[in-house]
Amino acid sequence: MKFPLLKTLCVLWLVAIGLLALTAPILTSADPYEQISSTMQTPTDHPPLGTDALGRDFFARLTYGTRLSLSIPMLSTLLTILFGTILSLTAIAVGGLVDRIILALTNAALAIPGLLLAMLLVAGFGPGLPTVVIAVGLGGIPGFVRLSRSIFLGIKEMGYIDAAYALGASRIRVAFAHILPNSAPQLLSLATTHFAWAFMGATTLTFLGLSGDPSFPEWGAMLNSGRMHLIQSPRLTVIPGILISLTIFSVHYLGENYTEK
Amino acid sequence: MKTYTNKIVLLFFVLSMSTLSSACQPPSDKTSTLNYGLTLAPSGIDPHINASAELGIPLSSVYDTLVFLDQANGEFVPGLAERWEISSDGLRYTFYLRKDVYFHDDTPFNAQAVQDNLDYILEPDNHSQKAAMMLGPLKQAEILDEHTIMLVLDEPFAPLLDSLSQVYLGIASPKALKHWGSSEYQFHQVGTGPYRFVEYIPNDHITLERNPDYAWGPPIYENSKASIERIVFYFYEDAPSRALALERREVDIMGEIPAHEADRLTTSAEFSLSAVTIPGQPLQYFFNTTASPTDDLRVRQALLLAVDKESIVLTVFGSHSPIGSNPLSQAGFNKISVPSPSAHKPEEARKLLEETGWKLEGQDTVRKRDGEPLAITLIAPTWGSNSEVAQLVKAGWENIGVEVELIIATGFGALKEIQSSGDYHAIGINFFGTDADLLRSFYASDGFYNWTGFSDSEIDQLLIEAARTTLDPEYRVDLYNQIIQAIADNALILPIRDYVNLVVAHQSVEGLNFSAQGWFPNLIDVQRSSP
Amino acid sequence: MVPKSHRRTALLAVIRRLLEGVWTAWAAVTLAFFALRIASGDPVASLLSQGLASPEQAEEIRISLGLNAPLWLQYLRFLANLLQGDLGSSLYTHRSVSQIILEQFPSTFVLAVTGLIAAVLFGFILGITAAWLRKRTSGMIAAAIAALATSIPVAFAGILSLLIVGHLLQEIGSSSELLIRLILPALVLGFASSGPIARVIHSGLSESLRSPFILAARARGIRRDVRLLWHALRPSLPPAISLVALEAAFLFTGTVVTETVFSRPGLGRLLVKSILDGDYPIALGLVALAAIFYTISHVIADLLTFIIDPRLRRVE
Repeated sequence: MKFPLLKTLCVLWLVAIGLLALTAPILTSADPYEQISSTMQTPTDHPPLGTDALGRDFFARLTYGTRLSLSIPMLSTLLTILFGTILSLTAIAVGGLVDRIILALTNAALAIPGLLLAMLLVAGFGPGLPTVVIAVGLGGIPGFVRLSRSIFLGIKEMGYIDAAYALGASRIRVAFAHILPNSAPQLLSLATTHFAWAFMGATTLTFLGLSGDPSFPEWGAMLNSGRMHLIQSPRLTVIPGILISLTIFSVHYLGENYTEK
Repeated sequence: MKTYTNKIVLLFFVLSMSTLSSACQPPSDKTSTLNYGLTLAPSGIDPHINASAELGIPLSSVYDTLVFLDQANGEFVPGLAERWEISSDGLRYTFYLRKDVYFHDDTPFNAQAVQDNLDYILEPDNHSQKAAMMLGPLKQAEILDEHTIMLVLDEPFAPLLDSLSQVYLGIASPKALKHWGSSEYQFHQVGTGPYRFVEYIPNDHITLERNPDYAWGPPIYENSKASIERIVFYFYEDAPSRALALERREVDIMGEIPAHEADRLTTSAEFSLSAVTIPGQPLQYFFNTTASPTDDLRVRQALLLAVDKESIVLTVFGSHSPIGSNPLSQAGFNKISVPSPSAHKPEEARKLLEETGWKLEGQDTVRKRDGEPLAITLIAPTWGSNSEVAQLVKAGWENIGVEVELIIATGFGALKEIQSSGDYHAIGINFFGTDADLLRSFYASDGFYNWTGFSDSEIDQLLIEAARTTLDPEYRVDLYNQIIQAIADNALILPIRDYVNLVVAHQSVEGLNFSAQGWFPNLIDVQRSSP
Repeated sequence: MVPKSHRRTALLAVIRRLLEGVWTAWAAVTLAFFALRIASGDPVASLLSQGLASPEQAEEIRISLGLNAPLWLQYLRFLANLLQGDLGSSLYTHRSVSQIILEQFPSTFVLAVTGLIAAVLFGFILGITAAWLRKRTSGMIAAAIAALATSIPVAFAGILSLLIVGHLLQEIGSSSELLIRLILPALVLGFASSGPIARVIHSGLSESLRSPFILAARARGIRRDVRLLWHALRPSLPPAISLVALEAAFLFTGTVVTETVFSRPGLGRLLVKSILDGDYPIALGLVALAAIFYTISHVIADLLTFIIDPRLRRVE
């Protein structure tokens, strides 16, 4: 499955939805929260995509929904990368007991599936979009630490790291000036695949109704609210579902095949 | 070749599936079993202790009550009590009980049983959440002879007969109550009704079995004996799954079907619709009169004017619901006057807000006063399509320049918790009932559910007078009309719609009818025409 | 026969792995306990504000739940109870959490087992087809389907399947309860979980098909048939089998969504409900059990890999 064409398509898709998010107000004059009709409109009655069950312009909800659906996993991923990298880099750069402790803690945390951990956090803090961001962010840290640690370990065992130590470089300097930059490509790939996971996790949580306010246009929540009208108006679930799947696929594929063979 | 392997694998898969399937086949004997769909699984199903309306759907056929309410004329008819007398001062109710009644465990029904039930309900350690409050100022029960019991009250209590007609005061076998105790009894309930309680697996199902010895049904039942052998109740909390369950014939009857699904299902002859109006409070939101900005009457009035109720009801409930305009539904309280619904006048609403100092500046979408934005927190529960209604209410308010934070409370517990914190301006809750006294806990200054924080001594006076001083129905109606007017004048609530329960049943189900309280089917009357 | 010294080191390695498993399970349960308790605050306060208990009763409940003790002591009690199989009681119904979980367990277990079988079948079929028929269209389609399996959210897959199968059944005019209650959710769950397995088989088989010993076998005239497939497949089997053991735990999270979409009773739905209701003992009990189960399957996966791989190789 190594078509260069496929890679291009994925990039195009991601650029497309990125543009969608940025240009939403230009693409549609409708307000995603406003009820414009008392009854649900089909796409023929109300182009381009009709309304949802509460009479709100569906196209507007999808386009504005891009913003929320993308920014939630983005913020979570940033959170995960920030804390995860600090932990794993410290573990590798300092080594020894610190490494063993961090490794042990990570393995323990990994025994709880990331999504379950996120749900646990939402259980404690109560539903809401900020909670979802934090929960998915924190829940992804153990997995990210394990994978980034093995990346850093691979770099560390390269000869030039030992050379740097021999030349008297401090551990911090080695970490930031040598290990980190040299693992950049692999880290980027990891970050990308992690974003795909965060996207899947966030949409699962919002699908389960943990987003707090159902009026926010967000694809996972729309997937859930569309279920009520599955037989009559499948577009309400199918379109958000396809958007989610294509986005996850594109990110995942690019992340996996980022490093050229 | 490769494909050969694939075929073998597929065959193996199919074979294992079918062997697994035969092990999992549920017994479905369509001729004598009825499957009924419930919605949310309540935390407990002992009607003497728990308050949910859901539990009454199966259990109102497991118990009989002293009296029953005839919804045709609003009169009380004999149940376990053949007749009764009320003293002129309204403090003593003497019930003459039937002598031919037996509990499902073959113990006899008598006055001692009634007293044991009242003790069980009023025992503080049992934490009765509804039944105890329905008894009001009950002082004691005196046994006059084996089949005569007198209830003595501290003061007159107009809703007493109504309370005694509800499943929460159904009479249970004292032997079972004592044997199991308050936490285990819900799994081993014993009554006198047309159906026996078989088992309850939480979150899974409740099973009832016909009581062949039943011979003391009240006149409101059409049949004297039940015809269906077994009724099994399954839980379907998830709204989208309910219509699907009916179509897949997992259940034969289910209530609380969303309006458009009900319409869709009943276009074919396979299903029939019973639109049952539920007396009680409408789907409504209470305003918090102790928190700014909803402490200002004009702001509340503006919020009412900004909501297009007709449109909301049409969108969410189709053609099946009367628009709410009243703290009480139109059904069940026929003689109480109904103010007309507040109209949808967003321009007037904007003017009112301007008058109170909340103004829009420049490109703002949210009004400000002294630099503070006009922010409202709206809390909605998850049941009864509240989530959809709240979203539309939010849209209506945002339209006149209000910033709305919508929070869906995930359960009754969460709702109460938020309410205790005081962090809300509008909160949704409603109870059902057939006596207007249910308003008291919401609108009296010391009412347990007074979530508006509104305190008016005149309303308090009227509420007490209507329940605790007189038994004259017409005088009570007059008093309640005054109360309702006061509630409207003070813009305390935003009513949206009167509750209509859409019950869809398969065509093979006949005779389905509902008790006066609306939620509870008279299962004794239900028959199957064909498998 | 395996030499005695090999057996001894093997035994030591197994014991070590088991001990690691115990440590991991303990640490995970501890993490779950503290995470939930710190995040959720005082469970009795919630009962108070709901009016389910008066202040005096709340104090009694606090005492009976041992909430007045310092947190570390509560944790030790929780641990002790856990080892005896006591997971506390529901805040609302006061029923034993272990009892509640036991009641819901069979439904989830059946779904998970059938889902696992489906995942293995899908994974193997897709992976083998993609690698073996690499140059044919069917091979490429299989690879595409495998990619789809990793990207499609379980919820959406379930909803789509309901839509499609619902329509099909309407055309045929029948309705199969079993199909929709068990087979369909299992297939959806299996499909959504089959991605990693398919990928491992695909890449492993592709590589091994290009490896010297296969080329040599073909050069000797062995036809490209089932026997060759089996030989080429063997190196990929250990990681695949260990992946399957890991998948068993991943299925638990999958059941949360699947049970919701298909309205099946089970532990997944129980978890969501307990979270939304705020019934912390149930949520904590479920997550603790999930962690233990996850750890056990990790250990089994590692042990299986260990057994299948080095010892067999040595003997050969």
